[in-house]
Amino acid sequence: MLLCDFHIHTTYSDGSVVLKKVVDFYGQAGFDVISITDHVVNGDNAMGKLAHRLKYSITPGNFDEYLEDVRAEARRAWDKYGMLVIPGIEITKNSFSSDKAAHLLLIDIKEFVPACWDFEKIFLEAKKQDSLTIACHPHQTSEKTFVDTLFLWNNRERYSKYIDAWEIANRDDVFNVISLKKYPYIANSDFHKPRHLYSWKTLLNCPKDLSLIKKCIKGNDGVSITLFRRCQKQW
Amino acid sequence: MVALLFYSIAAFGLVLYVIQVFAVRSCVSAPGKATDFMPPVSILKPLKGIDDNLFDNLESFCKQDYPEYEIVFALRDLTDPACKVALKVKDKYPDQDITIVAKWCDDGLNPKVNNLIPAYRVSKYGLVLVSDSNVLVEKDYLREIVRHMEDPEVGLVSSLIRGIRARTLGSVFENLHLNSFTVGGVCFLEKVLKMPCVVGKSMLLRKKHFEEIGEWSGVKEYLAEDYILGRKMKEAGKKVVLSNHFINTVNEYWQVGQFTARHTRWGKLRWRIGGPKYFAELIGNPVLMSLIPLMVFGPTRITLPATFLVWSLKSLGDYSIGRTVRSDLHPLFYLFVPLKDIIIGIVWFVPIFSNKVEWRGDRYIISKDSFLYPCPEDETRSVAAY
Repeated sequence: MLLCDFHIHTTYSDGSVVLKKVVDFYGQAGFDVISITDHVVNGDNAMGKLAHRLKYSITPGNFDEYLEDVRAEARRAWDKYGMLVIPGIEITKNSFSSDKAAHLLLIDIKEFVPACWDFEKIFLEAKKQDSLTIACHPHQTSEKTFVDTLFLWNNRERYSKYIDAWEIANRDDVFNVISLKKYPYIANSDFHKPRHLYSWKTLLNCPKDLSLIKKCIKGNDGVSITLFRRCQKQW
Repeated sequence: MVALLFYSIAAFGLVLYVIQVFAVRSCVSAPGKATDFMPPVSILKPLKGIDDNLFDNLESFCKQDYPEYEIVFALRDLTDPACKVALKVKDKYPDQDITIVAKWCDDGLNPKVNNLIPAYRVSKYGLVLVSDSNVLVEKDYLREIVRHMEDPEVGLVSSLIRGIRARTLGSVFENLHLNSFTVGGVCFLEKVLKMPCVVGKSMLLRKKHFEEIGEWSGVKEYLAEDYILGRKMKEAGKKVVLSNHFINTVNEYWQVGQFTARHTRWGKLRWRIGGPKYFAELIGNPVLMSLIPLMVFGPTRITLPATFLVWSLKSLGDYSIGRTVRSDLHPLFYLFVPLKDIIIGIVWFVPIFSNKVEWRGDRYIISKDSFLYPCPEDETRSVAAY
């Protein structure tokens, strides 16, 4: 079984740990597959503008550098840990209204995708790039400091056919609605800080090969989730 | 008068600390003897959960500049997250003699010993090294510790430890404490009191002697299996040696709660083993002693500079030991020494009032010499993984 986390942020957006350290963090813990998914934030409202001002977003200007850095780290991670690192982004449509906010992971991204595009266009572009699309924290979360991102869930009849999998668990939250709807699922940490390593994760029963991993998630065959915890007490 | 009493105790603590500083220097500077004595060694690594830097820690044992040795990774079951890391290390070094033993063992109450018993049974060689999972070693580590075994009377070799790579406040506290109080205490016992102090993070044993003292049966019910092993070896007339080769314990992302939890547990061990001697630790905490008059009488012309002087001297002492042990802590981190010592001073009181320990998920009652009993509120013994 492959131990995987497909939702990880670095200092390229609002994560607190630099990319190299993040890769080492997961490599040291024995992970098989991770995806670096820094935010690409919409710049068409006040929240988005603030995120851009704080440099919490990948932009067209630094996307190539980001992609090259992730790929370089992927080579190092493969040599050192036998760990697959996949470049990705998190399309981040922030809004003060939960019903309008949505976050979507694009895994195995090759070209920049702006967050201000409408979802139909984003899904089409994802398909063109052969990227996986994962709806993030799609329901009410326990962290009340942030606005929930309910847009995709509220419009699931319209968009579910484009979404390869839904986060059934994100960090410490579990979204039972995904299971009730029998949607394809994965679980991720939404890593921003070192302590987020210990959270919900995905296990895949497939070989460590990018195309087979994507197939496994899309088919949702051989997917399970696990709560990855560290033992607090040392010897 | 009261203030004078506390400042006198603080001054006494500082004098004791200066002796520790010199004891550390003496330990570290002891010359090593070149030798070609390199018999095969079985390295037993008890694993449980993910430690900081686990992959590199395990990998460092695969890179030893040593002719013949085996590594046995010991787990309680294959679902342990550390199993994946052990498998990856084994895959990366296919030419190394690595065995992964995953076996549930409930022989004793000490979870680490329970983990080690099945690994010990499959070990092949006459020298056995028990090494914790959070230890990172240099290439010459095995050579350096094994050379002490050339003397056939040596039954156990342990090593000095050093905390490295702190990135969070909890880790800074932990490494400051390991690189001052712990290393200072171990060297003080070794050089001044001539008492063996075995640090369980690295214990090299001769199987023959180990079996003479009853193997694991004599230690499996004790939390401080390292201390008991050292004592039993000494009682059996064998030498217990402290190697001056440092092993690193990587504490990168500790939270302050982890730091206080570990030192509460270690404090309980020392209280149950040392009894009244445990009070020497309180007296030997000059930062706490000098804080008391400052709190009682407030900041006056005497208390403020006196307390500041004591705190500065203690911080300088820690810095001095840090330099001696080649600590990687930034000099500015030594500004945290007074705060760390105050926390340790508060933690010191906990063992007096509580005899329960929680260790890797299980709860126990700890009694004399760290003998363990199952916690009565836990209906089953050792059900949870530790």
